[in-house]
Amino acid sequence: MRLRKRLDDHAWSQEHLSHYVEGDMSWRSRRRLELHADECPDCSLGIRALRALLRVLGGASERAEARAPAGIFDRVRAEAARAEVDAGESIEP
Amino acid sequence: MSRAVWSPVSANMPEHELIGRAQAGDVGAFEALADVHADRLYALALRFLGDGAEAEDVLQETLLRAWRGIRGFEGRAMVFTWLYRIAVNESNRALERRERRRANVPVDEHAIAVPAPSREGPASQAERRELRQALRLAISQLSAPCRTALVLRDIEGLSTREAAEIAGVGEAAFKSRLHQARLRVRALVGDAALVASAG
Repeated sequence: MRLRKRLDDHAWSQEHLSHYVEGDMSWRSRRRLELHADECPDCSLGIRALRALLRVLGGASERAEARAPAGIFDRVRAEAARAEVDAGESIEP
Repeated sequence: MSRAVWSPVSANMPEHELIGRAQAGDVGAFEALADVHADRLYALALRFLGDGAEAEDVLQETLLRAWRGIRGFEGRAMVFTWLYRIAVNESNRALERRERRRANVPVDEHAIAVPAPSREGPASQAERRELRQALRLAISQLSAPCRTALVLRDIEGLSTREAAEIAGVGEAAFKSRLHQARLRVRALVGDAALVASAG
């Protein structure tokens, strides 16, 4: 089935660029967006920008490994004990 | 709360046994259970807040709430999902408090680390730094539900199902927030800067 150009293709494509890069679209919608993006520099750039965004954000997870601060459980224990003392109870480690 | 106890926990004790002992008030069992996830919970808070000291406070509050709530844990979700949900809520609360203070908090340089190519010149390093700052600012300007979706799915790399469960919404609503968040970040950072980062 052949898709026809529509007046709202650009606005619709801009709203659905993230769905497109996610692969979260029906075949027909995907085709509609691709046909428009082939002729639209803005939408074509938008697809590249969103792909770059996902790559950058995904890379952040791999590279920004963080370690929980040493002694965090000591602090939690102390805070729990303090709260219990405030509440008239006691904690025995 | 009943009196807490502390008994030895073996390194390979099964999770369900740790849960049972923690629910009976065994602090050691609770710590063994939570310690496995502590680094990821801290990293999650750091990604939300971009500030090491605030992330540490969020981690402490998360663990404290988990300890107080462990007896109510029914095992319908995984421990990881349960802890993540608490951490997400605490991170968003901390952001709301920050918003109320309207303080300009310095953010951690490594909260968003833009991957570097194997060889790059000073100009490229400066561009990466600028992109990192722009991304951090853009993410901080998202609404809490959109920020949660972006951090869990695109930065933490969780599946849509896991991330939606942690966010406490259905998958369709979660995806809608995620798409909205990405488009907003794209608009705030700009296509040119994003595309340039891809080299």
